[in-house]
Amino acid sequence: MKLLFLYPLPLIIFIAIWHFLTVGQPDRQFIFSSPSQVLNTCFSLLKSGELVHQTGVTVFEALCGFIFGTVIGSFLGLSMWYSRTVAKIAKPYITAIATIPIFALAPIIIVWFGIGILSKVMLAFLSTVTVSIVQSYQGAMSVEPRFLRLMKVVGASRWQTFKHVVIPSSLIWVINAMKLSIGLALLGAFIGEFISAEEGLGYMIVKASGLYDMSTVLTGVIALAAIALFLTGIVDQIEKRLLKQ
Amino acid sequence: MLNISELSFTYGKAGSPWTIKDLSLSVGKNEIVSILGASGCGKSTLLNLIAGLLLAQTGKIELSESDKSKQKIGYIFQHDPLFPWQNVEKNLQLSLKLGKAPSKEWIDKHIEQYFKLFHLDKQVLKKFPQELSGGMRQRVSIIQALLFNPQLLLLDEPFSALDFYTKLCLEDEFFQLVKEQNKAALLVTHDIEEAIAMSDRILIMSKNGSFSNEFILDFATESRLPSTVRSSSKFAQYYGQIWSELKAVIAQ
Repeated sequence: MKLLFLYPLPLIIFIAIWHFLTVGQPDRQFIFSSPSQVLNTCFSLLKSGELVHQTGVTVFEALCGFIFGTVIGSFLGLSMWYSRTVAKIAKPYITAIATIPIFALAPIIIVWFGIGILSKVMLAFLSTVTVSIVQSYQGAMSVEPRFLRLMKVVGASRWQTFKHVVIPSSLIWVINAMKLSIGLALLGAFIGEFISAEEGLGYMIVKASGLYDMSTVLTGVIALAAIALFLTGIVDQIEKRLLKQ
Repeated sequence: MLNISELSFTYGKAGSPWTIKDLSLSVGKNEIVSILGASGCGKSTLLNLIAGLLLAQTGKIELSESDKSKQKIGYIFQHDPLFPWQNVEKNLQLSLKLGKAPSKEWIDKHIEQYFKLFHLDKQVLKKFPQELSGGMRQRVSIIQALLFNPQLLLLDEPFSALDFYTKLCLEDEFFQLVKEQNKAALLVTHDIEEAIAMSDRILIMSKNGSFSNEFILDFATESRLPSTVRSSSKFAQYYGQIWSELKAVIAQ
C-alpha cells in the first residue's frame, strides 16, 4: 500500500523541476517546452482526435508485427527441435538476420512494401521474429532430460513428446521472448514511421520536430511510453494466464 | 519375465573398455531383484539398456509377455519426472493422453486404488508437484509409472532422496504392490539395508561390468515386509555377507 503512493513520486519530482526551470522563461520553453504547454497540446490533440488516430496507427502496426512475429517465430523455433540438421543450417542465417540493425533494413522494406502501414508491420515483424525463433528454439532444446527420458520409456512418439513436453516446457521461453519483442515491435514500427510515413506517432514526431513544436514532440513521446506500458501490461496478463499454477 | 544374455555395452567407440561385459540376468514374475555395486560400475547403465534408452553393442534383452499390447517397462527414477506445469491429476493422466490406458474410468479407478495403497489424500490430485513433499512426489511418480500398467519395474535409487521414515513406508507399500500384482522389479541402489529388506535376490556388480556374486534371500516369514525383516537375525547375517563381498568388489 505504501509503495502505491511512492510510484508517482519520481514523476511528480521530475515535472516539478521541469516546471520551475521553464516557468516564465519563453526561450527555455522554446527548447524544452513546459508541463503546462505539453498538457495543453495533449488536450487539443485529443480533442481534434489526432492523438488517438496516430496512436491507434502505431499500436496497430506494432501489435500486428508482434503477433505475426511471435506466432511465426515461436512455431519455427519450436519446430527446429524436430531436426537438428535443419537447426544447424538455419542457425547462421538467423544470427545474421538478428544482428542486422532494423535501421539498415528499413529503407529496403519501405521500397518493397511502400510507405503505408504494411511496411511498418513488416519492420515490427522483422524486429520480433528472430528473437522469437532464437528464444523458442533455446527453450525447446532446454527441456529437462528426465522428461524426455520418461517419454521415451513409455513409448511416446516424437509428436507426442513435442506436444506434451516440448511445447509446455518451452512456454516460459516464448513468454520471455514476448517481453523482449513487444518493445522491439514498437521500435520497428516507429523507425518505419520515422523514415517515411503519412501517419503514426513517428510521423507526428518528425513533422512536429521540423516545426520546432516541442510540445507535440513530447506529447508523441509520452504517447509512445504509454503504448509501451500498455503492451507490456498485455504480455504480463498473457504470462499470468499461461503460467497459472 | 526378463531375460538378458551376454550383454555388452560401451559408451566409447569400438575397442573402448566395456561398461557392461557379457552380463546375463533373469528376473521372474513376482520377484524383486536388487543390484549393488560401486559407483560407476554400470548399474544405471544396465537399467537404461533394459529401458531402451541405450542400445547394447552385443547380447540380447528379452521381455516375455503374452499380451503384446501391454506396456512392458515402468522406470522409476531417483528424481521424479513429474511435469511442473500440470497438477498431479493431469500428470497421472499421461498414460491416457498417450493412448496407453484403456479409458478415463480405468485411470480414475486405479488412481483411487493406488492412492489408498500409498496413503495419499485425494486433495493431492489438485496440487502441483512443486507443492508436494519429496515423499509425496515419489509416491505420485510411482503411481504415474504404474498407470501404464507395466509388467517390469525398473527402479534407480528411487528412495535415496527421502527421509528414513518415508523410505520405510514406501518400501513396504512398493513391496506389497509388486507381490500383489504379480509384477517384477529390478532395483539399483547403494543402500545395502534397503536391498536386503526389499529383495528376493541381490546381485553384486563388479567394476568390470559383470556380476561377481548372487545372494538369494530367504526370510521364511509369512508376513514378509521390508520393515519387518529389518529386525530379524537373518537380516544382520545377510548384511555381513553382502558387505564383505561388496568391500572386496570395491577394493578391486
